[in-house]
Amino acid sequence: MSKQTQDAYIVAAARTPVGKAPRGMFKNVRPDDMLVHVLQAVMQQCEGLDPAAIDDVIAGCAMPEAEQGINVARVALLLAGLPDNVPGMTINRFCASGLQAVALAADRIRLGEADVIIAAGTESMSMIPMMGNKVAMNPAMFIKDENVAIAYGMGITAEKVAQQWKVGREQQDEFAMTSHQRALKAIETGEFQQEIAPYPVEEKRPDLTSHEVKVIKSVKDTDEGPRADTNLEALAKLKSVFAANGSVTAGNSSQMSDGAGAVMVMSAAALQRFNLTPIGRFIGYTVAGVPPEIMGIGPIKAIPKVLKQVGLHQDDLDWIELNEAFAAQSLAVINELGLDRAKVNPLGGAIALGHPLGATGAIRVATLLHGLRRHHQRYGMVTMCVGSGMGAAGVFEAL
Amino acid sequence: MINHRFMVRKAAVLGAGVMGAQIAAHLVNANIETLLFELPDEKSSDPSAPAAKAIEKLKKLEPAPLSLAAKAACIQPVNYDQHLGLLTDCDLVIEAIAERIDWKTDLYLKIAPHLGQHTIFASNTSGLSINQLAQALPEELRHRFCGIHFFNPPRYMHLIELIPCQESDISVLDALEAFLVTYLGKGVIRAKDTPNFIANRVGVFSMLAIMHHAKAFGLGFDLVDKLTGSLIGRPKSATFRTADLVGLDVLSHVIGTMHDTLHDDPWHAYYQVPDWLQALVDQGALGQKSGKGIYQKIGKEIHVLDLEKNGYQLATSTLDSDIEVLLKRKDPVEKFAALRASEHPQAQFLWAIHRDLFHYCAVHLAAIANNARDLDLAIRWGFGWNQGPFETWQIAGWKQVTQWIKEDIASGKSMSKTPLPAWVEDIETSERRAVHTAQGSYAPATRSMQSRSALPVYKRQLFPDRLAGEEVVYGETIFETDAVRMWHTGDEIAIVSFKSKMHTVDIDVLNGLQQAIEEAEHRWRALVIWQTEPPFSAGANLQKATEKPKREEPPSAFDQFMKKVKKSAQSTLLQAARSLDLADALMAGKLAEVEMLITRFQQLSQHLRYSMVPTVAAVDGLALGGGCEFVMHCDRAVATLESYIGLVEAGVGLLPAGGGCKELALRAARNAIDNDPFPQLKHTFQTVAMAQLAKSAEQAKELGYLREADPVIMNRFELLHAAKVQALALAESGYRPPLMPRAIPVAGSTGIATIKGMLVNMLEGHFISEHDYLIGSKIAHVLCGGDLTPGSLVDEEWFLRLERTAFIELLATEKTQARIAHTLKTGKPLRN
Repeated sequence: MSKQTQDAYIVAAARTPVGKAPRGMFKNVRPDDMLVHVLQAVMQQCEGLDPAAIDDVIAGCAMPEAEQGINVARVALLLAGLPDNVPGMTINRFCASGLQAVALAADRIRLGEADVIIAAGTESMSMIPMMGNKVAMNPAMFIKDENVAIAYGMGITAEKVAQQWKVGREQQDEFAMTSHQRALKAIETGEFQQEIAPYPVEEKRPDLTSHEVKVIKSVKDTDEGPRADTNLEALAKLKSVFAANGSVTAGNSSQMSDGAGAVMVMSAAALQRFNLTPIGRFIGYTVAGVPPEIMGIGPIKAIPKVLKQVGLHQDDLDWIELNEAFAAQSLAVINELGLDRAKVNPLGGAIALGHPLGATGAIRVATLLHGLRRHHQRYGMVTMCVGSGMGAAGVFEAL
Repeated sequence: MINHRFMVRKAAVLGAGVMGAQIAAHLVNANIETLLFELPDEKSSDPSAPAAKAIEKLKKLEPAPLSLAAKAACIQPVNYDQHLGLLTDCDLVIEAIAERIDWKTDLYLKIAPHLGQHTIFASNTSGLSINQLAQALPEELRHRFCGIHFFNPPRYMHLIELIPCQESDISVLDALEAFLVTYLGKGVIRAKDTPNFIANRVGVFSMLAIMHHAKAFGLGFDLVDKLTGSLIGRPKSATFRTADLVGLDVLSHVIGTMHDTLHDDPWHAYYQVPDWLQALVDQGALGQKSGKGIYQKIGKEIHVLDLEKNGYQLATSTLDSDIEVLLKRKDPVEKFAALRASEHPQAQFLWAIHRDLFHYCAVHLAAIANNARDLDLAIRWGFGWNQGPFETWQIAGWKQVTQWIKEDIASGKSMSKTPLPAWVEDIETSERRAVHTAQGSYAPATRSMQSRSALPVYKRQLFPDRLAGEEVVYGETIFETDAVRMWHTGDEIAIVSFKSKMHTVDIDVLNGLQQAIEEAEHRWRALVIWQTEPPFSAGANLQKATEKPKREEPPSAFDQFMKKVKKSAQSTLLQAARSLDLADALMAGKLAEVEMLITRFQQLSQHLRYSMVPTVAAVDGLALGGGCEFVMHCDRAVATLESYIGLVEAGVGLLPAGGGCKELALRAARNAIDNDPFPQLKHTFQTVAMAQLAKSAEQAKELGYLREADPVIMNRFELLHAAKVQALALAESGYRPPLMPRAIPVAGSTGIATIKGMLVNMLEGHFISEHDYLIGSKIAHVLCGGDLTPGSLVDEEWFLRLERTAFIELLATEKTQARIAHTLKTGKPLRN
């Protein structure tokens, strides 16, 4: 039974463009700085909002250490110029961290315990590698066979999903190809312009002859991942990287990326107080657990669960942002649930656009809400599989 | 006047072609800042892009011209338009542009004003006249000019021919020679300014003679290669495969130079590019670089050009077994007599190619070289033969062979009718009766025996490359067993050398070494482990030594480098199996005996580490498995750049157990930051589990087999000198062995689990087998100090016990036994 006392509205949603890791345009940009940038971007979109009225800043991050450690949410909000009274917390549900942050923010408001919260996510995979700077496995994983899968890398789980759900190499490559084509078309037609807050990159390099520091400045406003030179032939030539004679390649997996996103969530009272117009409404969110060795099927459990929870049917959804961790698991989810391919990732997905782990959820909420509005559609979903065997799904309504 | 202590702070190479770039690479191998000049690319935003591209290519070339790929960054790419001014600071400038006199002349005019006051300028020409080139330089520069002829690939080929022009200042050449010998590690031969100098002149004539006789006797290319390769002490690539490697266009060019410049040569008629060779060059089949030449690799098959059938055929020819038996005869006198007496065309062919080569060398010696030693060494160092022509002639019986050559000249069988020069018979009647003697080698100009160079640099070569006929006595014996010999050179440093094949280590070597350490502790100031020829040691031989140790001809420099060309993984594995020749012990199920041997091995390693006198390993060539472990346990290693060091046991399903894992774990703990050795151990694990073999002493430092303080030297003939100096320095510094570490932090159970985390993904991805997983897990277990709470403190004995236990456990598995047996039998890895 819902304890909801009020609705949670999304007033602003912004993101950085997504850079390729570890050698892309943001390779030297700190994830806390990227978070500062998106916090400032959503603040700018909420003219009239008293920053002191912000009840909390919740940021998702999948590897919260080093440059994105020591509670990056609090660090970034202070650096962003928000007042001391605004608290901040960093949360981690791996790839669903950013979406989880939005859900947490919405739930605090829905319970009536808060009115204004910024939900966000940030991740630099260039600076903090996939499993963190220090990998230290628990010996217990290797004592019982049933626990070994906790140690599995994501790639192996994708191979297992491809096998069990019979997703062939060609289908995966074709799916990847579509992702790139859709993303390129979206960039060309300016679909991402509303959500992207262009990022000014500044690098300081030594001139070893003059002994001067050269400052190189540029502004990044476009996602770096989509490749115009991708074709099925080239994709077919790639070797499987996670298994000998496997089907999962660098071409049909999500890209490692750097990026950040932020979403301003408010109650109706706050909207009224600060005279702001919402772009969307949060409807519901859930997570579900699955076996770690086939973590990619997480959405198969999460999607029906959340739909049941919010009383909507799959067909009611106009737009589904399904995080393309791997083409193999995306196709398993699509086929198993009978999702409409046209509605899934109409602007491309993580295979082309990249997947900055903990930031992805917040980034894709921005994509979804702006997209639904531009295309005059109503219900949408952001969903993803999560490492060690989970699925997450959030439902939104565009206003 | 050039200072005798000629130091090269900076060098420049002009021309970024194959040779120029590789010479630059070898200069940075020697830690010399180097500029690489090439023509500018006006279209590029970086006019030095062509040189930069050549430097980039060096990283991918095989065999590797750079001792460490990262050293490429120390070669500065420059161009003739912008950077000539930088030449002023270069102490040595080597020109290596295309072989065109007009281009070279233009370049010399352009650079001359920029050369520093004392800069030595030298040309790497292989065919042009040094005196003619000198004319393009201002007179005041000519005394600092000479030819400096490197051989391809310059890192690996020992020879440099140094060719003075008429105005060259001898003191300049002496200074340059000293530099090239010590700092670039080369064998320098002073050559005369005659076409193609010494090595190419003789080497290419030899190829022409082989082509001539092969045609006459109707022998196919692949058969000729079988006859003229390792069976007669030449590289395995023999004649025609060498031609493919060198490039058929290059070979044709060299032959062309001989044709154009040697009109009065009695063999001039043979200086012709054969039609078939010309045809190959015309169609772009230039050998290895174009994927097709005299040979062609189709899939895994080797096909060879068949002139009769006018196409490529599968290379299937085999040697006549009688000829093979004949060639394997130990006594060269009997061998040559049999070759000449045989009517078999293969035997007659072999006699003919030797006869004409001897004839040619005798006639031309006075014109092209200072003495017979220089000619022989040039061929050995430049072409990788085990013996030069005069040496072969001498050991085959100078008088008899001379007589046969004379007979063949008289009967018109030889390629030229020119009589042998008189000295050939004169030396036979003189008291020395040989071309190489203890007093020196024959020099036609003085008609006397010329001793080796008296330049001070050669004092560092206690045992230079010796020729047949030159006696060598390795100091005075302290004691000698069947397995080792301990000796000295008249000072306070003791030397121990192994007598086993490939200097492997068995129980007798261990006992001998033990005795040597004890003896050194009693009566000597330091102990150096040095072998009279490479390798340092191919590792442990766990097979009980029942057979008498055999002495084997050391592999030639060329064979060694060819070996490296092959996929290293395979050769590493083979070496690993050989180094652990366990077959017998296994069949007899003598695990207990093996365990005892391992224990002895560990004790010896520890004794090397904690002996009361400094121990120094003088490393050259392979140091594998147990050999590597000795190196790691000495106080110092002095290694030649061409040292190939590795703990390769994992290649055959085992792990290092002579203290190797212990030492690596200890080093990781020493480098631990915040008491956590794991970040280091991750790399160590990969090194051990992947059985990584360092491809140079520099790389051995990166992999942790050598320490930062271990000197790397360039010339293997200076190795003993350098090692003794290090040993003495340690002794003179009041040497005490280190205190035994008693609190080594371990990565423990978390470290093992983290490595297993990597392994389980490889296992699930079918990249490794269950047995690979087991081996990897055992290695992780030992390196991480076993199943302990992370950060626990252990001593060395703790690690040694883990090593022994894991080794025996792996050895007891059927799959490891199958791997060893398979690799020993086939030379290839077994995946099971």
